[in-house]
Amino acid sequence: MFLTRSEYDRGVNTFSPEGRLFQVEYAIEAIKLGSTTVGIRTPHGVVLGVEKRVQSPLLEASSIEKIMEIDTHLGCAMSGLTADARTIVDHARVTAQNHAFTYDERIKVESVTQAVCDLALRFGESVHDEDAMMSRPFGVALLIAGTDELGPQLYHTDPSGTFVRYDAKAIGSGSEAAQSELQDKWHSQMSLTEAQVLVLRVLKQVMEEKLDQHNVQLAQVTTDKGFHILNERELKEVIDTM
Amino acid sequence: MPDMSAIVNPQQRQFNPYAENGGTILAIAGADFTVIAGDTRQSEGYSIQTRYAPKVFRLTDRAVLAVNGFAADGNMFVKKVKQRLEWYRHAHAKDMPLRAIARLIQTMLYAQRFFPYYVYNILGGIEEDGTGAVYSFDPVGSYERETCRAAGAAQSLVQPFLDNQIYFKNQTAAQGSPHPAHLPLPDVLSIVIDSFTSATERHIEVGDGLEMYIVLARGRTLPDAVAGLRPQELPSAGGEKVFVLKRDLKKD
Amino acid sequence: MDHFPTNWGRPKYDNFDTSATYPLHNRGQNQSTTSGATQHTQQPIVTGTSVLAIKFKDGIMIAADTLASYGSLARFKGVQRLHPVGDYTVVGASGDMSDFQYLQHILDGLVISEETTAQDGHTLGPAEIHEYLSQVMYARRSKMNPLWNSLLVGGVKDGQRFLAYVDLLGVTYSASTLATGYGAYIAQPLLRKAVEGRENTLTEPEARAILENALRVLFYRDARSINQYQIATITANGAEISASLKLETSWGFAEGIRGYGAQTQ
Repeated sequence: MFLTRSEYDRGVNTFSPEGRLFQVEYAIEAIKLGSTTVGIRTPHGVVLGVEKRVQSPLLEASSIEKIMEIDTHLGCAMSGLTADARTIVDHARVTAQNHAFTYDERIKVESVTQAVCDLALRFGESVHDEDAMMSRPFGVALLIAGTDELGPQLYHTDPSGTFVRYDAKAIGSGSEAAQSELQDKWHSQMSLTEAQVLVLRVLKQVMEEKLDQHNVQLAQVTTDKGFHILNERELKEVIDTM
Repeated sequence: MPDMSAIVNPQQRQFNPYAENGGTILAIAGADFTVIAGDTRQSEGYSIQTRYAPKVFRLTDRAVLAVNGFAADGNMFVKKVKQRLEWYRHAHAKDMPLRAIARLIQTMLYAQRFFPYYVYNILGGIEEDGTGAVYSFDPVGSYERETCRAAGAAQSLVQPFLDNQIYFKNQTAAQGSPHPAHLPLPDVLSIVIDSFTSATERHIEVGDGLEMYIVLARGRTLPDAVAGLRPQELPSAGGEKVFVLKRDLKKD
Repeated sequence: MDHFPTNWGRPKYDNFDTSATYPLHNRGQNQSTTSGATQHTQQPIVTGTSVLAIKFKDGIMIAADTLASYGSLARFKGVQRLHPVGDYTVVGASGDMSDFQYLQHILDGLVISEETTAQDGHTLGPAEIHEYLSQVMYARRSKMNPLWNSLLVGGVKDGQRFLAYVDLLGVTYSASTLATGYGAYIAQPLLRKAVEGRENTLTEPEARAILENALRVLFYRDARSINQYQIATITANGAEISASLKLETSWGFAEGIRGYGAQTQ
């Protein structure tokens, strides 16, 4: 795909004659190296699931953090360069708190997603004494889950700053297989438990290791209870019902 | 020897960036409506500057803001609130809810804590749950939700009257028929009109004209007694309705 | 990290938004703090007294005398205090004359840039000029460095008459008769009596007579006034400012009154 390397590979803000920003496209490629991450929207809430690659038996699986809370009604799961996501989530959290402070209401899922995407295109060189915030595009994609007055919603954002709403979405290395599985199995009236099980099934299908409560993580955002990461016991229960 | 006192003790005449432009505003919430009213006289000292300077402004289909105090600050504040509402609409694809406008007004007022907008704000309208609501503010942003509030030059005349007529203070309910929590719209309008005619009688800064905004909750219609007064309906998206009722007050 | 998107990608010292595109409320605080003693608060020095204005059938009429006083000294007797702005508007000023000259400069610049630079088909009418002046006056009072004037802005555009006031505090209002300064106490009652309810029937000569009468009363009672004046008439045909005119006065009544005229004892 990228055999014709050229000088347009270098400048992060330079379009190629075909109208492409190679560095952004490469960043999107970086996500395909990341672990698989799945999100499913149901009428009752959104379920997020990630695969944790436990590369060594000495590694503390619980220290791998790929699902993060943004606000009580918002959470996100990531794939790609997860370190980059910390900057993004930090920005999303500040934006959400700022909104709550100023307007005494929860920020909408789309609004917080937009805020995240505003940040995504702030890479590039600085002109004279401007502050350059980032030298390269983010190498991470997010699934942002939340509830607001429009009900439970799931958004996908990528390094190009594009965001799209999904009923069910998979990102990361196993995303192609996972996405077609989601397409087969998702239906509009799923229960939350069905969604949890489907997320695990999809993950199981694309994972190399055998799925257990240490190498996956599940979270959900529901209308009444908000964001919640399932603890080991809760996760085990879902795995057992698979 | 010449008088040196002016040199030894220099006299500083400080520019006063504020004025007090008189007038009174008032709002009363019902179960499913709110009335927000203000007179239209603008004055400074004993001079009437104009007999028609509106102090009550429609913000959205379900929010109306009354502003009283220093007129220049009031107009600037309303202008800025409206600007923020439009930005919010663009950013979040919806009209700002009443409760959010109330909080926004607090943050905008408090941002000017050390050079305040010298204005008393009363915000009225319909909440997300369809109830009538009144929020009142001090110039630096302290605010609370109430059932009724008067502010401005004749606050000290009107508020006790409202306490008595709306909150039934110093009234004892008859056995077995407790005071109602909310009055119907025609009663509320009568109280508003009486408040302003009385304030006009006893306060030199109140008079000339009265503008009453009526905000009706989704699906509600004006009672016949009020429709008969021929209030002007303002265009809205179709949920809540906003009406304006204008009346003359004495001009002396 | 800076979480305020409107600060992103801008120089640190750039504390204002040249293209005015950013919502000010979420601009972060990156303003450089310049220190140094500055003296703002002033007092008016060379001043003009009242300006009067009324609505009439065909438009707006504004009147002011031509005196610029230095305290109680009648320092400049032939100063024009009515200033045309564009084709539809006249601004009349009382208060500090140097601040007024500054405003004339600003307004002339505004009209030039609007007519030559923009060439976008927009022309500024009296309502726009008044709004602009209000913003300038309010901004300066908010910096505690006011432009020490009370201004009347009148004009006709698109068949609409416009008449409004703005002062050093940024206070604005509109009415069919307006008067600044001492005129607010002495002339305004006369103007209201003569004009209110007759805005759409008063003819130009009638309107002129009303203003001349009010100016005469002011000349009798206001020690900072003079018996020379100008009247601006703005109608659908544009703005016209008269030459300097002389007020007809009679002091015969003073003869028999103690305190007026020559004292016999």
